[in-house]
Amino acid sequence: MTRTQMRSALGKAVGLGSARDGVENWLLERVSAVALIPLTLWFTVSTVMHAGDDYATVMAWLRRPVTTTLMALLLMALFHHTALGLQVIIEDYVHSRMKVLLLVGMRLGCLAMAVTGLVATLKIAFGA
Amino acid sequence: MPSTPTDRPRPLSPNIQIYRPQLTSVLSIANRMTGVALAAYAVALVAWLVSAAAGPAAYTTVQSLIGSWLGRLLLLGCTFCFFLHLCGGIRHLAWDAGYGFSLRAIYASGWTAVAMSMTLTALTWVVGIVLAGHGQ
Amino acid sequence: MIIQRSDEVPDITLLKRFPVPRNFGVSAGSRIGKGRTWPAPGGAARIRRFDVYRYDPDSDGNPRIDTFHVDLDDCGPMVLDALIWIKNRIDPSLTFRRSCREGVCGSCAMNIDGTNWLACTRFISDLATPATIYPLANMSIIKDLVADLTHLFAQHRLVEPWLRSRTSAPERERLQSPDERHRLDGLYECIMCFCCTSGCPSHWWNGDRFLGPAVLLQANRWLTDSRDEATGERLDDLEDPFRLYRCHTILNCTRTCPKGLNPGKAIADIKKMLIERRG
Repeated sequence: MTRTQMRSALGKAVGLGSARDGVENWLLERVSAVALIPLTLWFTVSTVMHAGDDYATVMAWLRRPVTTTLMALLLMALFHHTALGLQVIIEDYVHSRMKVLLLVGMRLGCLAMAVTGLVATLKIAFGA
Repeated sequence: MPSTPTDRPRPLSPNIQIYRPQLTSVLSIANRMTGVALAAYAVALVAWLVSAAAGPAAYTTVQSLIGSWLGRLLLLGCTFCFFLHLCGGIRHLAWDAGYGFSLRAIYASGWTAVAMSMTLTALTWVVGIVLAGHGQ
Repeated sequence: MIIQRSDEVPDITLLKRFPVPRNFGVSAGSRIGKGRTWPAPGGAARIRRFDVYRYDPDSDGNPRIDTFHVDLDDCGPMVLDALIWIKNRIDPSLTFRRSCREGVCGSCAMNIDGTNWLACTRFISDLATPATIYPLANMSIIKDLVADLTHLFAQHRLVEPWLRSRTSAPERERLQSPDERHRLDGLYECIMCFCCTSGCPSHWWNGDRFLGPAVLLQANRWLTDSRDEATGERLDDLEDPFRLYRCHTILNCTRTCPKGLNPGKAIADIKKMLIERRG
């Protein structure tokens, strides 16, 4: 307690120093954002076109190789972007020890969701 | 014993409690909140794919959930969140590339993003309802 | 030119304040109590009400809001004039920083009607009724409207705001072409009033580590200086998830700068430099 209070203002501002890191995450968030523009628009238009369609019609659309490819790309870009975005939000607002737990949990959750979505997409494409 | 000035911690002046909401900060927090909402909708997308992969029974159950009033309301929310986040995101990409930083441009692009996301949401739903009507 | 306000664009006030509870995340000692209402001066024809944040470190009391009534016919046109009028005529203990009264020293930066501005370049006639005067947002308060800027100046010191050169000193001054000099326009004019940093939500939540718009604009001023030879080291020291990348381009900084500068753009330029040197 005393040590913190007596540390110089500059010492406090320097803290643990520069991480010399951060460009990578920042850039990947932008790259995934750019990828998501066409992918999400494709998905939105496609779902609107299939509004009111029955199971067989929707499955026929989902089984097309183009759909499988785009859906896989969408899932990967979407959950990558989600993980990077949520990471920034957690870092912004959480200042307790919970931060590490939340970050790890969020990362694993995003990974699990992406993999589950991919497996479902592939099962639809190649399943019986 | 009254505390002396040295041992009493200084108060922190108010921040979000008094700072006026402006288009800059309001759209920034809106972009963040829609992003969090879309993360939840992304989980719903995975659930929908899993149900489609599981077979007609599971798929019909999920479709009937989406078709309910609450489901449609959530879907409408999803559409708006998506378009607002998309328009806000394009604004951010322009800034990251170094464009649109004059106050006038910031405000023009901000109001455009709001108007565009509402228009695109309405358009998407009108087209969707018309197409769904034809299909049946 | 005196910039009267950053409202060069019409602003529809959506909300007067964010829908959060008054004491949202506020420590017990920072809670604002009800203050005293000072009587209006007798015989005044034009009166304006000012609600002013007060904090007295020599008492045990919490911060409070005092209400003053200013006789506009006896007072200059600027908010700073009103504060000086209150100090002279009503309560001599009202404490605030001021010096140049013409927008070049940056001392009288405070939160006026919900946004940060210099009290000396803001017209009383542009204020709402009642006018609300707070210190710069999110600052440790020494007394009344006087904020403790120690940490912000330490952050400024951190970016080494001076020329760093390895070339030995020339006989004459270090030369710069007119073009190179023009690149400093929009950066060197910053008066370090910290209106922008105090208006940045990201600095509110992470001000201990995030450098904030004012300091990052200064960092860019030295990155941009053609005579400086430490650009690489400067970028190394800035590349950090918190020091630089807590900036989420909210742009409250650009919105509030009373000198009409663009800290948001200056920070975006730093981010571009970091991308550029990678490939």
